[in-house]
Amino acid sequence: MMLIFKGRAVLPGTVEGHTLVTRRGFNTYASFFTSIHERTGKAVCADSDNPDLYGRDLAGAIICLPRTTGSTSSGAVWQRLAGWDITPRAMLFSQQIDPLAAGGLLVADMWAGKRVVTIDRLGDEFLNTVQSGDKISVSAAGQVVIYK
Amino acid sequence: MKLTMEEQDILDGSQGGMLQRVMATIVAYGEALDAEKLVDITGMGHFVIANVIPGISPPLEMLDSLIKAGLKTAYPFTLDPAAPLDHDNWWLNPEQIATLQHMYADQDSYDCRMQTLGLRDLQAFTCTPYQPEVGSVPQRGAILAWSESACVAYANSVLGARSNRNGAIIDLLCNIAGKVPLSGLLTDAGRKATWRIDVATEHRPLPQILGAAIGRTVLADVPYVVGLDRFLGTGLGPHTRDYLHELGAAAAAAGAVGLFHVENITPEAVDQGAGLLTEGYRHAVINAADLRDLVDSYPVLWVDKHADPDKCFLGCPHFSLNQLEWWAAEIQAGLQRHGRECLRVNTTICAAPQVLEKFIDNRQGWEVLSRAGARFSSACPMQAFDNDLSRGDAIITNSNKLRTYTHARFFEDKQIADIIVTGKIGRRA
Repeated sequence: MMLIFKGRAVLPGTVEGHTLVTRRGFNTYASFFTSIHERTGKAVCADSDNPDLYGRDLAGAIICLPRTTGSTSSGAVWQRLAGWDITPRAMLFSQQIDPLAAGGLLVADMWAGKRVVTIDRLGDEFLNTVQSGDKISVSAAGQVVIYK
Repeated sequence: MKLTMEEQDILDGSQGGMLQRVMATIVAYGEALDAEKLVDITGMGHFVIANVIPGISPPLEMLDSLIKAGLKTAYPFTLDPAAPLDHDNWWLNPEQIATLQHMYADQDSYDCRMQTLGLRDLQAFTCTPYQPEVGSVPQRGAILAWSESACVAYANSVLGARSNRNGAIIDLLCNIAGKVPLSGLLTDAGRKATWRIDVATEHRPLPQILGAAIGRTVLADVPYVVGLDRFLGTGLGPHTRDYLHELGAAAAAAGAVGLFHVENITPEAVDQGAGLLTEGYRHAVINAADLRDLVDSYPVLWVDKHADPDKCFLGCPHFSLNQLEWWAAEIQAGLQRHGRECLRVNTTICAAPQVLEKFIDNRQGWEVLSRAGARFSSACPMQAFDNDLSRGDAIITNSNKLRTYTHARFFEDKQIADIIVTGKIGRRA
């Protein structure tokens, strides 16, 4: 079964893979604060307040989330992740992208040359439907297909 | 997004390639945020990244390219707390000192670059630039492009200035352009409350716990908080300001709260009352049990969960002068209560340089705490300990923000006072 959701492509691109899902706010700084200090080639989520993702490697992941939260330092965190090529591949927001994520992901794209495919406004139903491990594809126009 | 002729010219490269790139980034930022236009920044900046710490600070090459193009911010700016290079105040072992020195090896040249880009002065390092002693206090209605989540929450909520929660680097770029997208918390509509939060406790809740509970409930939405005037009175006295800066820091760290209104207290709530609530607003009640459950949910991340505490850090966000005096009295009472003269836990208390200077000038509280063995710093414990540098240290704090980002263990103020005097975590804790 294919479930199709249409969002807005903030940073367009095509991606296929399996999802990691958090239904609470994604605290960027708390999630990445260990992986930005030591170059391991991984980005293991260090946010102990987020049981959905804690301990999971977020490098190359397709993350489904409502929006980001936490420290405004995260703007620069994205650039470090970009420089080390350990960003997620895609960030799929159910809500409109928040300023913190928008600024960080745009700077990573426009100043560090690393695009994290970013789609927002996918809607509550998207986040209610998608499960961690689902196969998913994202089109440049912002269409997201979940394969159940 | 509609641009003025001047903005379009800059975007077309009329003022050089680097400013063109800055403007292109801000325009893309505005489009992502659905802004209809850019507006002029009208007040000083405050940015979250004060340090050259790898992985968090803007790359030096990026700063150099901005400087080489002759760019600087439209107004002077302040920065978050200085690098934790005052090692004696942090109870560090030689290996930790060596690591910090290595991490911050480029700090002087970073500071130099920041001065060139518009840093107000070399004492302008604090997460509370709005303290009167520091003197970066935006006017109500001022348009800002601040970062540092706690500062943004305070500037919006308590001062009535207008800033979105900008991230590091985009903050600097906006202030260099002197422009910021008109969106979110810069607009009247974006400042309306989509949540009503009723505080239904019998006693005044701890601000960093209530703030975290609010942040978890509303995430990035704007809450209208009802019931705090029972404990704080109406309007904005110094103690209420202190309470709200703690509450805002925790709400921002636990969620993404950039603005909160408090009935009969914060300026827009005083002016507009419940008229700030949107149609169809959501409603939540927070009671004492909710707050206790929240604290109980915090995991103990110490390597040895049953260790006696090694270190205690207070002042995240940086304390005000009143808070320093309150802690001096509290710790003095704790020492008397337990018949001791010195603290058993290595304790560091943080405040802005100008606030500490005033506290030292006032003598009494400073002498009490110094005699007890406390140390003072204007740096930030998060920047010293938000990595594995001190993974084995058993650190306690009264800061829910510090707890969120490190392995520090949270205790309430009154518990902290007993723990640092006795060196033991009592049954109540």
